[in-house]
Amino acid sequence: MNASHGTPPFEPAAHPPAQQGAAYPSTPSGPGRGGPPPVGVPAPVYRADQAFAPGDDLPWSPLSKRHSLHRLLSAALWAVPVGGVGGFLVWTNGTPVATVLWGVAVVLTVVLMGAVAELDRRSFGYAERANDLIVTHGVFVKRLIVVPYGRMQFVDVTAGLLERWMGIATVRMHTAAAATDATIPGLPSAEAASLRDRLAQKGDERSMGL
Amino acid sequence: MSGPYGPHNPPGPPGHGPAGNPYPPPGPYGPQGRPMPPYGAPRPIQGPFQGPPRPPYGPPVPHPPPGYGPPYGHPPPPPIRFSEGVHRLHWATAPLRASVFLIAYFVLLGFPLLLTQTEDGITLALTPRVVGRFLAVSAVMTVVAVGAGLWAWLALRFRVDGDDLVVETGLLRKRKRRIPLSRVQAIDVVRPLVTRMFALAEVRVELAGGEQNGIALRYLGHRSAQQLRAELLARAAGLPGHTPEAPERPLWRVPFGVLLASLIVRLPVLATVLLFLASLLFLLMYAEGGMLAVSIPVLLALIRAVIAPMVMYGNFSVAMSPDGIRLRYGLLETRMQTLPPGRVQAVSIVEPAFWRTMGWARVDVTIAGYAGERQALSSTLLPVAPRHVAMQLVAQVFPGTTVDAVPLVPASSKGVAIDRADGAGTDDVVFVTRHGWPCRRTDVIAHARAQSVRLTVNPFQRLLGLATVHVDAPPGPVQVAAADRELGEARAIVDSTARRALAARRSGGDPAHWAAR
Repeated sequence: MNASHGTPPFEPAAHPPAQQGAAYPSTPSGPGRGGPPPVGVPAPVYRADQAFAPGDDLPWSPLSKRHSLHRLLSAALWAVPVGGVGGFLVWTNGTPVATVLWGVAVVLTVVLMGAVAELDRRSFGYAERANDLIVTHGVFVKRLIVVPYGRMQFVDVTAGLLERWMGIATVRMHTAAAATDATIPGLPSAEAASLRDRLAQKGDERSMGL
Repeated sequence: MSGPYGPHNPPGPPGHGPAGNPYPPPGPYGPQGRPMPPYGAPRPIQGPFQGPPRPPYGPPVPHPPPGYGPPYGHPPPPPIRFSEGVHRLHWATAPLRASVFLIAYFVLLGFPLLLTQTEDGITLALTPRVVGRFLAVSAVMTVVAVGAGLWAWLALRFRVDGDDLVVETGLLRKRKRRIPLSRVQAIDVVRPLVTRMFALAEVRVELAGGEQNGIALRYLGHRSAQQLRAELLARAAGLPGHTPEAPERPLWRVPFGVLLASLIVRLPVLATVLLFLASLLFLLMYAEGGMLAVSIPVLLALIRAVIAPMVMYGNFSVAMSPDGIRLRYGLLETRMQTLPPGRVQAVSIVEPAFWRTMGWARVDVTIAGYAGERQALSSTLLPVAPRHVAMQLVAQVFPGTTVDAVPLVPASSKGVAIDRADGAGTDDVVFVTRHGWPCRRTDVIAHARAQSVRLTVNPFQRLLGLATVHVDAPPGPVQVAAADRELGEARAIVDSTARRALAARRSGGDPAHWAAR
């Protein structure tokens, strides 16, 4: 993959933020229009396999191992009534072989969901960068979300009954855009609370109107 | 200070950059004929407060003593100063509400009371007994209606308190709402057909974040509505409340014929017209009544696609003023919208296939204040205009850039989407993507308004080594996404967009109190 393919028009702002006293520059010197070359930080160049790296030399913070266990458990808890009722119906109307097949299908589904949950947990990562929170996840559709702290409207921590029992919680960051889906599930409760506090503090420092 | 909407021309000398001069010279028009002055014929704007242009924000013009009598009076009424004292809605709201109540009563209960059940069915026999019964019930209902109307009128009070609009409702159980004017996203003056006859108007103040956030004051006298709007906008801009209404400069007016033609020459509408004609032909040739089941829904769809927008956007005009873009439109229900600077989150320039040959474009817009059903009503900044006018309007919305001058990097040729991605590009102010065939859309979002940046790779794209970059705006008609970029490039776009957004937020700052900065 040609890494320098997109660099010229997408390089970052020419001026370091501290120099930007005036509002939008009205002179046609903006980069991307053949203006002066950027003097600040050089544009980051990514190889294709680095596209989902956190950047800023930060490591991805992983989720708790209990997250996939929690999803497996809740899948199993759903499977008990669904499998039971379905199995009963199949047993009264069909053959024993069909009942066994139904049971096998239910168990396989649960195992598959558990496997996907584990893959999803491994694909999950978040990093608190200097100015934004960056989250990646996704097994089939890979996603990377960059949410600036200044855009955050509120953070909430939720924990269901099962999650509470397992000592994990979900941190969700809300912006004015509905498409922003910065959700970090399966964090140990204490870590979730401290992440929430850190995010809220950073959001307060940088918050602004729409 | 001229404000962000101040300079008349798109900034920057013409002819720089790779795209050259983005606008054709304002003289001779494109192929659509009908030469017009480029910024629309200046016309007298309706509304009583549009006198000779006053100094925009100079020293306050001396006002008559602040006696505010009845909110609506005959010439020359003293200007109402909403920043002083407590105000109510127009008194005619009470009888209007009462009459609506009485009409509902008559349809549901009053008329059935006049009917009597006899052997041969229900008849309208006006015997003294029936009339007496009707009059007795009606008298009670009239008292109730007048009381309810009066109660509702008395119950709502509002005042401007510092930086807030305070609305109190209720006489026995009081409820108070404070609306921070620095957070106002848009202020509309709406005049439904019935209230137009009584010179009444509704003032809507929109805040970000959902349908409940915002307030509708229905109804005020037309002049006081205009004045309240001016006052609220002045407060939101950070000026003293009795600043005279900011002057405005007409930018464009959509002629009726162009609007009608533009609504018809769209591919779906033309296809529907063909379908309608074919079904009509079939109906007449074979006298097949069953074809009505096709013709009538098709006709209804045509009415919905052509007549409804025409009634809604008839008489559309755009004007620029220091406190924002002013839109006026509507044939039956007229609306006057004011979008303060920095409130437009994202715009989309839509050019359907046939419009491109005519050189027309439409501008759709996302504004955070309009949620739910109001969003569908207020998502158009310009229903149809020559492309360069549309681009000029966009340049006013996002000052400091011209969208056509932003170089677009073509998307990867490996992409196989039907909704073809053309390219994406950015400068310091905006992020631009273009996609779509045959209806071409150019989506523009200001870096200062971007909420978050996302990178997604679906399984199909992963096979090809491609990715999509989304720059998220609040919910609305515009979604900005650069599809089918090479993976490494996509990540570079994400980082550069995040960095530019940070710089733009730092330099652009809060859009509140735009005139006081």
